Amino acid sequence: MTTASFIPTTAQATAAGYYPPRRTVEVTGVRQLAQGVFRLTFRDAFIAEHAKPAQFVNLYSHNPLHMSPRPFGVADVHGDEVAVIFAVVGYGTDEFSRMQAGDRIDVLGPLGKSYDVGADAHYVLVGGGLGIPPLLRAAQVLSAREDATVTTVFGYRNEHFADEFVAPFADRALAIDESEGNVITLLERIEHELRTGQRPVTILSCGPLQMLKAVSSWAANRDIACQFSLEERMGCGYGTCVVCVVDTVDGRQKVCVDGPVFTPEQLGWTE
Amino acid sequence: MNEQASMDIYAPHAWRHGTMVAGVRWKNPVGTASGTFQLAAVGNFYDVAQLGAVSTKGVSTVPWEGNPAPRTAESPAGTVNAVGLQNPGVDTYLVDELPKLKALGATVVTNVAGHCDDDYAQVVEKLADSPADMLEINVSCPNVSHGGMSVGTDPVALSHLIERLRKITDKPMVVKLTPNVTDIAGIARAAVESGADCLSMINTLVGMRIDIRTGEPIISNVTGGVSGPAVFPVGLACVWKVRQALPDIPIIGIGGIDSGEKALEYLYAGANAVEVGGAALVEPTAPLRVAHELELLLDARPELADKLAKGDTWR
Repeated sequence: MTTASFIPTTAQATAAGYYPPRRTVEVTGVRQLAQGVFRLTFRDAFIAEHAKPAQFVNLYSHNPLHMSPRPFGVADVHGDEVAVIFAVVGYGTDEFSRMQAGDRIDVLGPLGKSYDVGADAHYVLVGGGLGIPPLLRAAQVLSAREDATVTTVFGYRNEHFADEFVAPFADRALAIDESEGNVITLLERIEHELRTGQRPVTILSCGPLQMLKAVSSWAANRDIACQFSLEERMGCGYGTCVVCVVDTVDGRQKVCVDGPVFTPEQLGWTE
Repeated sequence: MNEQASMDIYAPHAWRHGTMVAGVRWKNPVGTASGTFQLAAVGNFYDVAQLGAVSTKGVSTVPWEGNPAPRTAESPAGTVNAVGLQNPGVDTYLVDELPKLKALGATVVTNVAGHCDDDYAQVVEKLADSPADMLEINVSCPNVSHGGMSVGTDPVALSHLIERLRKITDKPMVVKLTPNVTDIAGIARAAVESGADCLSMINTLVGMRIDIRTGEPIISNVTGGVSGPAVFPVGLACVWKVRQALPDIPIIGIGGIDSGEKALEYLYAGANAVEVGGAALVEPTAPLRVAHELELLLDARPELADKLAKGDTWR
């Protein structure tokens, strides 16, 4: 083996004007939130300081047989701790779910473009299932703003695994599971309030494609602006491999760096 | 990844061991492999001019939109990818990525893609007067419907193409070979006898994954190209075989390199230089790390370092 380490650090990279490299950080806890759903927190001051709503981080398995990045939207941030919430769907997520405080994990990020939350607006955060976590970060960031109000509209399959995390940040938090309906059911319930509110309404949404298209259609019929955060299988997460493409009106674009946030106009979802 | 205090790969560095590849000096023997490098992405992570060379993503006559998603699936110690050479076309490349790379001081290997001989010829014509340092003819992509690997597996078709391109350009011309053949040395010989100045190998191996929940292929293209540490011994054996058959042709070794040690194995197999591909997808700074690691290994091997600097190889 070589005698010196050339594995770079965040401090070296940022001092030279570059993005932080892949790095090893400390896991500060893993907690099961629902059947098969986990919240993992790790310590990384750079991500904690810079992660914007809908930006994501790559986590990497320790097993060299499973090299590919596992991208997760940043859920929320407390001090220098960063949370992600995920379902166990395969080898990598199973490994992460079994980690404990004090374990080490490799991360890269934050990656991708964020929701545009620059406007003075009433933000309606519409999330479905594992699309909810990035909206927690959106609620957290917006809660610090005096020119924004937040209503969350979360749809779950059954267990309401994220309600406790959004409660501190939302002006109004609504949630529903499949036994009662879906996010459109909730949007219909608050439609009158949205129409008569003082601030213009902007929907930020993340979730299954079918849900996003339903939200897009609902909003388009009411002239409500939307931004969607998409998911796609990624190879690198930082824009170089060109595998995570989505068809847009401007051709195939990369979900990881051109997104993950796209507007319905970009996606050609306008009716 | 360890936590020990590390050498600063971002600091300006005077490379101690350059290599000569078909008359082109690389400041160190480590480049990026085509398909894994885009300046707009990689340039955020480190100074790409620190590398021996960068081999850019294949460019075609007109923009290609590539294959639909999903384009990737994990495989043991690697990935299966089928991008289908999505690229903005040679005209955009000539006014965007190429001049930016040259302004940074990078040594550039421009990868050329095509669906047919005319496509390759048109791209090479446009690149003939460009500042690209070398051209790499991609006759080995397994993920496009025509051209690509169908040329690179047929010595007669390959000779026909390379002879034609040789008449168009005097630039050092690298032919990138596929491992998906029974006799890579025979294909290599056809490329060299038709005018190739250099060979790079290997492109990806054909592979696939199936989603057992649906019983269907994961990748929209059904099959893709396997890269990553899993292919390392395959690439190494290809370089060895071609070096045994063709003692004098410059060779760029590619396949599964993620450390200075693995790069060194390729140099001992007879390569003049190497390129890092899949490792960069999971660790953006991997090529620069490998270059630094290899430098220390070459410090301890002055005979090999001297040969590389003169354009010779270990074998």
